[in-house]
Amino acid sequence: MLTVDHIRKEFGSVRAVGDVSFEIPTGITFGLLGPNGAGKTTTMRMILGILTPDAGTIAWNGKKVDGTMRRRFGYLPEERGLYGKMKVREQIAFFGRLHGLVEPEISQRTARWIERLEIGQYAERPCSELSKGNQQKVQVACAAVHHPEFLILDEPFSGLDPVNADMLLAVFNDLKAQGTTLVLSSHQMWQLEALCERFCIITAGENRASGTLADLRSAWATRVLRVAPGVEAVRAVLDRVPGATFVATDQDSVDYAVPANTDFSAVLRSLVGAADIHRFDAIEPSLHDIYIKTIGEAA
Amino acid sequence: MNDFIVVYSTELMRRIRSRPFQIGLLIGIVSIALFTKLPDLLRGAASHTTDVVLAAPAGVLDRAKTLLANDYAIVATTTDTSPPSAAALKARKATAWISIANANGLKVTVYAKDPSKNWGIAGRRLAPLNVALATDVSQARLATLMAVPVDVRALDAHFSSAAQADAAEGIAFTLLIFLYMLILINSQLVMSSVAEEKTSRIAELLVASISPVPLLYGKIAVATTLALLQLAIWVTVGILLGANGMHSGRTIDPGAMLGGGVTVTEIVSFLILFLLGFGQLSMLMAGLGSLVNRTEDLGSVSIPVVMPVVFAFILAIVAIQVPDLPWIVGVSFLPLVSPFVMFARIAVTDVPIWQIVLCVAINVVALWAIAIAAGKLYRVGMLLYGRAPNLKQVWQVIRS
Repeated sequence: MLTVDHIRKEFGSVRAVGDVSFEIPTGITFGLLGPNGAGKTTTMRMILGILTPDAGTIAWNGKKVDGTMRRRFGYLPEERGLYGKMKVREQIAFFGRLHGLVEPEISQRTARWIERLEIGQYAERPCSELSKGNQQKVQVACAAVHHPEFLILDEPFSGLDPVNADMLLAVFNDLKAQGTTLVLSSHQMWQLEALCERFCIITAGENRASGTLADLRSAWATRVLRVAPGVEAVRAVLDRVPGATFVATDQDSVDYAVPANTDFSAVLRSLVGAADIHRFDAIEPSLHDIYIKTIGEAA
Repeated sequence: MNDFIVVYSTELMRRIRSRPFQIGLLIGIVSIALFTKLPDLLRGAASHTTDVVLAAPAGVLDRAKTLLANDYAIVATTTDTSPPSAAALKARKATAWISIANANGLKVTVYAKDPSKNWGIAGRRLAPLNVALATDVSQARLATLMAVPVDVRALDAHFSSAAQADAAEGIAFTLLIFLYMLILINSQLVMSSVAEEKTSRIAELLVASISPVPLLYGKIAVATTLALLQLAIWVTVGILLGANGMHSGRTIDPGAMLGGGVTVTEIVSFLILFLLGFGQLSMLMAGLGSLVNRTEDLGSVSIPVVMPVVFAFILAIVAIQVPDLPWIVGVSFLPLVSPFVMFARIAVTDVPIWQIVLCVAINVVALWAIAIAAGKLYRVGMLLYGRAPNLKQVWQVIRS
């Protein structure tokens, strides 16, 4: 388990991270969310030991993260970088060596990653000759060639076409299945929602919300009730639900925000008595909704 | 240690394959080839321009030919001393026609394609013959009398003869140029390499994998290795080409240097001062290189550390001439300056051993301090994007 306990980091008069704490159980995928400048990258850099926190502690399985431990971590930074003139195979092998791999393991793993990411035809070419998407794949290979225990991926899908994004999604799921703990930062909420078990939303360098999606939803006060048809009789029933407010309607359905503790069975029974109901959804808030609301409240 | 070895081996291969290194090596080889072969080529070209026809009366011709043979390629001789035509000159593929008349002494007339050349030398060479014809003294005797030997003997000096002193100055000058080129070129390559890693954003991946310290020191070690490799190649090329060129009046002769002209003290002091000077400058360059966000800014950022080195090189040239001048002795202890000035002094004078020890000690301490400061700058600078830090912020980082 990674334990981040009240870390703080300032650069001169600028407070990048004020007070961030969270725990990441081993083997899960963790989503780190926040707007630009929230302190996500600084937090990640502190976890990786690139920066030293001014206060607070970071521990992996109860031990402070040090250089030896860091060798077992992997990192895909938001700003991508490769040695342009170095060949793809050499580049991946170099990062394997940096993380303590030795031959013949380096060659074997490098070959496996090249095959897995379908970049075999570029293996002997300089990285600068590759497209942005293929460079991205090389960087993922560099970050994961040593089979890290803990892998931080900062915006791993940016700039990727849907096919390659799906490929990386599958790669990350494979890594997770093999026991790697993943931390993902992305502005693509649907991807995070699909991949992550736990989340932490930070803004202005502080925790705003954390937990599983269910935990985050439990703190959400309302649900959206979508009912079709959105005829007058239906709206009349919904108007009588305590705390319900009209949200929107279209040609077929009508949306109402109702308190999260509403007795939905009772509402459904009332609706069935009033009209020929062919749709009734109590819509949970999406990660996107929670994120927008959390950020908005913080502001 | 493993991190250092990984960085060292990878960086070494990367740099050897890099175009700047290969071009730098090639330029060095071409420069040495030019230094060593150019004088021969120039001499060859010059000799071609002094192909002459010699015209003189029968009793004078052979004796004049002997006296002029060292300065001119005499392509034809004749006893006909009447003025030649341009066609006659052309027919003999000569550039001049030297006509000697003997009536109450020799009189030389030169019919030249290029009258601006120094043809007066012919008159000086023929002077012994002129006197011999006018007196009973033999021409050989006269030649001996006219060359008065001057023997310079040193008293309380580093060198026992003027020739030895001149050779030592030449060697010192040659090694200084090597020292200057190696330090300046390779430290700038370190800076470029650091800036490249920062601007290509690979730096963050690297420092996430290993500590910045082996990363930085690995780079410096590679640059040092390559600089010594360059030196070895350049000197070898010089030896193979049988270097005997000239530069600024001094002999550039790597072959002669290794063949006995250069002393063990010079080699040892060259290597030690090179390592100290290069270490200091490359650390500074690496630290500064980590602060730039665009490789285009490298030139302006490097000026503050390049200037002292240029200044030091100029001072070292002065030191070759006046090695014991008090202020020269003083600056020979200054970090960044002393690798050049102290080396120049060691090459041309007897520097007291305590001064050498003190100089090395000061430079080792300076290297240590620079390494710490550069390490801090590098660690922070590599992740610093956006507006470049000002001097106050740089100082804060170093003090932290």
